[in-house]
Amino acid sequence: MPVHSPYCPCMAKASPITILLCLLLAVLPHSGRGDDFPTRPINVIVPFNAGGGSDIFTRIFQKAIRDNRLSPQPLVVENQGGAGGTIGSRMTKDADPDGHTIMCLHDGIYTAQHYGNADWGPDDFEPIAATGRSGVVIAVAEGSEYESLADLMKDATNRPYELVFGTNLGAPNHYSALFVQNGKPGAKFRFTQTGGGSNRLNQVKGGHVDVTGFSIAEYVQYKEAGIRALAVLSEEREAALPDLPTALEQGVEATHSLMQFWWAPKGTPQERVNYLANMLGQAMETDYVKERLGQLHIEPIFLTGDELKAKIDERGALLNQITIESPPALPPLHWIILGLTIIFGIWAWREDKSKKAA
Amino acid sequence: MIEIFTSPIVLGLILLGTALGITVGAVPGLTGTMLIALALPLTYSMEPVHALVLLVAMYVGAVSGGLISATLLRMPGTPAAIMTTLDGYPMAQAGKPGRALGLGVGASLVGGLVSWLVLWLLAEPMADWSTLLGPFEYFSLVLLAMALLAGVGDSTRAKGLLAGALGILAAMPGTHSATGELRWTFGVTSMNAGFQLIPVLIGLFAIGKILTDIGSEEKKAEQSKSHDSSYIPFKQWLPHWRNLLRSSGIGTVIGVLPGVGANIGSLAAYAAARRSSDKPEKFGHGSEEGIIASEAANNATVGGALIPLIALGMPGSVITAVLLGALVLHGLQPGPLLFRQNPEAIHAIIGTMLVANVVMFLLMLVGARWIAKLSAVPRKILSPLVVLSCLWGAYALSGRWFDVFVMLGFGILGWLMERFKIPLAPFVIGFVLAPVAEENLCAGLMASGGSYLPLLTRPVSLAFIILAVFLLARKETKRKKPQDLVS
Repeated sequence: MPVHSPYCPCMAKASPITILLCLLLAVLPHSGRGDDFPTRPINVIVPFNAGGGSDIFTRIFQKAIRDNRLSPQPLVVENQGGAGGTIGSRMTKDADPDGHTIMCLHDGIYTAQHYGNADWGPDDFEPIAATGRSGVVIAVAEGSEYESLADLMKDATNRPYELVFGTNLGAPNHYSALFVQNGKPGAKFRFTQTGGGSNRLNQVKGGHVDVTGFSIAEYVQYKEAGIRALAVLSEEREAALPDLPTALEQGVEATHSLMQFWWAPKGTPQERVNYLANMLGQAMETDYVKERLGQLHIEPIFLTGDELKAKIDERGALLNQITIESPPALPPLHWIILGLTIIFGIWAWREDKSKKAA
Repeated sequence: MIEIFTSPIVLGLILLGTALGITVGAVPGLTGTMLIALALPLTYSMEPVHALVLLVAMYVGAVSGGLISATLLRMPGTPAAIMTTLDGYPMAQAGKPGRALGLGVGASLVGGLVSWLVLWLLAEPMADWSTLLGPFEYFSLVLLAMALLAGVGDSTRAKGLLAGALGILAAMPGTHSATGELRWTFGVTSMNAGFQLIPVLIGLFAIGKILTDIGSEEKKAEQSKSHDSSYIPFKQWLPHWRNLLRSSGIGTVIGVLPGVGANIGSLAAYAAARRSSDKPEKFGHGSEEGIIASEAANNATVGGALIPLIALGMPGSVITAVLLGALVLHGLQPGPLLFRQNPEAIHAIIGTMLVANVVMFLLMLVGARWIAKLSAVPRKILSPLVVLSCLWGAYALSGRWFDVFVMLGFGILGWLMERFKIPLAPFVIGFVLAPVAEENLCAGLMASGGSYLPLLTRPVSLAFIILAVFLLARKETKRKKPQDLVS
């Protein structure tokens, strides 16, 4: 631990040896590196609520870094959920680019931009590293008539816009569904907002949506509750689900997965970005991270530098083949409520007046 | 379930939560909602199970504590204890304050246990059943909840509806819950996430209450002097079994109904007890039956209110709306999946409800007179402390001054609503349920291709809507005031 204070408590009753040790300690941290970083705790913004997949993922690294003393300063996880991750990502974008504020956010960074929920994207950040990739499956209720993805796609071609696909609109989960639709020309789904993993499970189980997508970790966890996967969207079969065929095997030209990235605000000095990337790389090597990622069925990839930038460009470019069809017109609930409030207000006011008169 | 409750930390939290709950319940000017809203920021760093244990224990304590000041000081510490005041205080004046407390505490325990049993038996089947509810059903269920609040609450229908609409309106700025579009943010970045539940609640309930109190005279406590035993032998309880069960049942059912809380539960049970009593003339003059009915029912609403919270994520009372916020903050989504994924959270809620009722019973028997002394702490000491913890609680949410301003703004709104006698409960429930309603309506419309017809063609949804229309279209009867129930 670096000692920055000029005061050293052992000076009080100092023998020559302790004085020497103290001096040595005070000098040491400055002799190694030129850049003094980090000087205070590193704030890691997670743009989702505590307890969700992204939060759990980030805290695995936080714990590994703390327990293995990979950073002289602790990582502090700050949950800034809401608006599909755009509140937290905007905060990170606008933070001081000094390396003390960073963010962990998956592919949602491009999908929000592509969908139109955010007018910023990967280009507005310095990417630090990618630290994991998770497969995605397409699933139906256990009792569903569809035995394979090929069956489902055939029906979606014969009856376009009839089958309901439960998604989290604007999130990577929605784009997985769009890639599946694109993978079979002529197939059309009706996409509906079904929210996070547990909501999608309830809706598909209750028959309110016909099909939905899950990460492998979610699927393994929910399988027992009464759902069945039709396909995995990886290039090859996943080790966690060796019997589950890929979409490609079933003649649907769709691949997608979820990659986890770490970002710093644009303008963060390159040497600090490298320092952080190096720290994350060391965390990847720890037994704890290996074990936890294994449990969550996350492939422990690690990318930095040019390799990382190329990957980000590649994944972002994939979205260009997708066009969003606008959903049916939704009621302007906020204006309706404003109107109702005024009506009820007048009613209550007149009631009070008539009571006073009586 | 048992292993959670052998941990000394958990037992300590139950003891602390129940004791604090009883105290705020007993002290007029402090409320359970205030306590739980202020304690919520403290629980961020706790394990989810510990946080739930503490908050549920506070809920049980707060509903019970009001009986002490109602009986000994003639000041109901919470609205839930208004009916208890009518008979508890006359009985204490007649030289039997101990017996009045003993009856109230015992009835509270029975009410708590009966509703606990119902909660334990019904929560899981109801959660399984809830997957049958699709987006359209959830939307109609919210409509039904709002209609219930306006039609059954203790204010006029117009004001109930106005309060509900205002609550929904307050939930509108920020991000559209279905499409993620921004609306009504007026270019302020902090508004993107809308108004957060905690600053809104603390503002309405704590700041609003203090502003209201500033303008009103502080009531002098009238303490009864005599002392008698609170111990009531089992044999003396036997004649009351019918009343105990009836009142607990009424309380549980009323607790399940969205937004209708402990005060209505005790009012309804009191009225029912009086109707079926051989000595209705004693009600209001120290009737044992009256105390028992009111206290069994108000405690029974707790278990009832927890059922839809756990099973559907629909809060049945203001306090369960805060608990819903606590669950979500800790990443726990109520519904059938909670039973599978986080059984420990369910066990924590259901188990705490049981243990806290027993702890409440013991604490109240031993400590009632001490707690009564606390309620005499003058407001000029209490209020600044409450304001300080409000400021801290709002800021601690995510370290933004914006939340503090939101809290102060809603404090002023709470004060205005109190002044114009607009109820707060429909406001809070509307605020909490607005995103649920909007998200489900939009999801339903996306699935139906823009057609509203399924609202009326799906049988469950149709049943909810018919019930809601019936409640609102019913002729408005003159509402019974507590005083009207006694001759």
